[in-house]
Amino acid sequence: MTESPPTTLLESVPHSFVAGPEWLRALRNRAAASLQDLGLPNKKTEAWRFTSVRSIADATFHRRPASIDLVPTTPAGLEVRSLREVLRNDPESLEGRLGGGAEAPFFAALNTALFEDGVWVHVPAGARVDRPLRIIHPSAPSSEASVRYPRVLVTAEEGSELTLIEVYAGKDPQQLSNGVVEVDLSPNSRVHHIRIHEDPGMQIARVSVSQAASSVYRSTVLTLGGSLLRLDIHARLRGQGAECQLNGAYLVDGQDHVDHHTLVEHESSHCQSHQTYRGIAAERGTAVFDGIVVVHRDAQKTEAHQENRNLLLSDTATVHTKPHLEIDADDVICSHGATVGSLDEDQLFYLRARGIPEDVGRAVLTNAFLQEIMEGVGDEATRLEMKEAVLDRIPHGDAVRGIS
Amino acid sequence: MLKIEDLHVEVDGKPILKGINMDIAAGEVHAIMGPNGSGKSTLAYVLAGRDGYEVTRGRVLYRGEDLLSMSPEERAGEGVFLGFQYPVAIPGVSNIYFLKAALNAVRKHRGQDPLDAIEFMKLSREKANLVQLPDELTKRSVNDGFSGGEKKRNEIFQMAMLEPSFAVLDETDSGLDIDALKTVADGVNALRSPERAMLVITHYQRLLDHIVPDVVHVLIDGQIVRTGDKDLALQLEKEGYTEVRDAMVP
Repeated sequence: MTESPPTTLLESVPHSFVAGPEWLRALRNRAAASLQDLGLPNKKTEAWRFTSVRSIADATFHRRPASIDLVPTTPAGLEVRSLREVLRNDPESLEGRLGGGAEAPFFAALNTALFEDGVWVHVPAGARVDRPLRIIHPSAPSSEASVRYPRVLVTAEEGSELTLIEVYAGKDPQQLSNGVVEVDLSPNSRVHHIRIHEDPGMQIARVSVSQAASSVYRSTVLTLGGSLLRLDIHARLRGQGAECQLNGAYLVDGQDHVDHHTLVEHESSHCQSHQTYRGIAAERGTAVFDGIVVVHRDAQKTEAHQENRNLLLSDTATVHTKPHLEIDADDVICSHGATVGSLDEDQLFYLRARGIPEDVGRAVLTNAFLQEIMEGVGDEATRLEMKEAVLDRIPHGDAVRGIS
Repeated sequence: MLKIEDLHVEVDGKPILKGINMDIAAGEVHAIMGPNGSGKSTLAYVLAGRDGYEVTRGRVLYRGEDLLSMSPEERAGEGVFLGFQYPVAIPGVSNIYFLKAALNAVRKHRGQDPLDAIEFMKLSREKANLVQLPDELTKRSVNDGFSGGEKKRNEIFQMAMLEPSFAVLDETDSGLDIDALKTVADGVNALRSPERAMLVITHYQRLLDHIVPDVVHVLIDGQIVRTGDKDLALQLEKEGYTEVRDAMVP
């Protein structure tokens, strides 16, 4: 394969799309057209107020295929296929499913225009997959600045159950990943979606969730730093009695910048949403949390809770947090709250008064702050892996491990 | 064991302790009684090494060494223990994990090998029995969702595990009903030994019915106004702090 010269993101979008089924070409054309209208987000774009993408806008990248590792094997009862393969062999099965959540913002539209491959995870009606499906998105082993466009589509049919674990791995801060995950939940289906971000590079990702009646979507996100990470989770509770749980833990140090946005739309009655995000900011790291819960006019009997707590471990670290509610219905129970604080001195003194050295005590408390998020992960191996990953990141984490 | 000499302590520039003197020998149990605001908890925290307490005069010698120059964890390693009046909850840290970390940190300080998991579990079961602390509580997060009585029993459980040489028990009786008080006092009494000294801080005399002290000090407004034997506690109970203080005025 001959290597084309690197281009900026916008330059890399072709004027017209000729490959693939007609519906996909139309989808890509619409996405490409919207890119020009939308333009890259800048400081004046409200949703990007604290996260600058100027370095991305001006930079040039090589395009790399989004490789995906499925490990170790696909659990029984699941259909897991490469998007490229499905688009070649029976593209009509994806029509109306892929790219269903239209009017995407800039980066999601860019992914729609340019993705080449990805994974389609289909859970047939009534299938209860007891083993988690694990997908690893490795970054390209390249020393040059490059971009990849991972794409995942999850369709959970009626009454099905799935745990999906996505690991976004990498080693190089010059790599950009611009991903989209779409999750479509049919009535009474349940999906637990775990995302582990352990890529020090630039990651922009969007998760679009569409929930039918009585479906349950649970999301657990663990973000271990990143030179620039932005995750948007958009959950639409479209059928009565749907439930959505968004939990997340993030750690930043060095010059990390991570930004988590959630948008939960209660479009139907008797739905519940619960959000708990915890963050730790150390050194010169920056963390942003912005959560919106929208309760539409007809969404009576809504219950929505949102909490974001942050621990600031240094004077030079920064946290921006903004949980908010927009409520158009009158019969609802809603709460939201945000805190930014330092380690509890009473707790630290209690540990020290029992003989635990100060630095270890700080590590114990820092680690404990995030534990609740990890406890929600049912698969033990994954839960332990996430806990270990946290210990790897926090100062004196080894000391905590040593005494556990 | 512990010698306090002319100890003056300020908090936020305000004098709280105004010249405390005390000499506690190994094997002795001393009680400090005093009304609210007299400086009892300040003394406990200063001995344990909490931040925010400024020693403006005097010194504290623990086994002949300058206690006040040690960090809280060094003091614990050297065998000083504070039973907290209000033990803090630490969600996300299991009680047993915390205690194992503490015990092994203290053992390390004393040049002992850490206990392995089996030895530790055996010891913790034995000591939990001492204060009838249910097994289930040892697995929960530290003091999280514990009742007042469970927190105090947990303090004495920790003391039994850490085997300190000198223990300060700050209002260990507060918030306890009579049965819980008895359980806690029995636990403390089981830990009395010729090698161990204790300083029991209390507002009420009733704890001293169960933990009988060798010496009783009355602390009022940052000063020890009287020192006596266990009968002084009974006299206080009968006459009240005001009488005892006024009786002191020459």
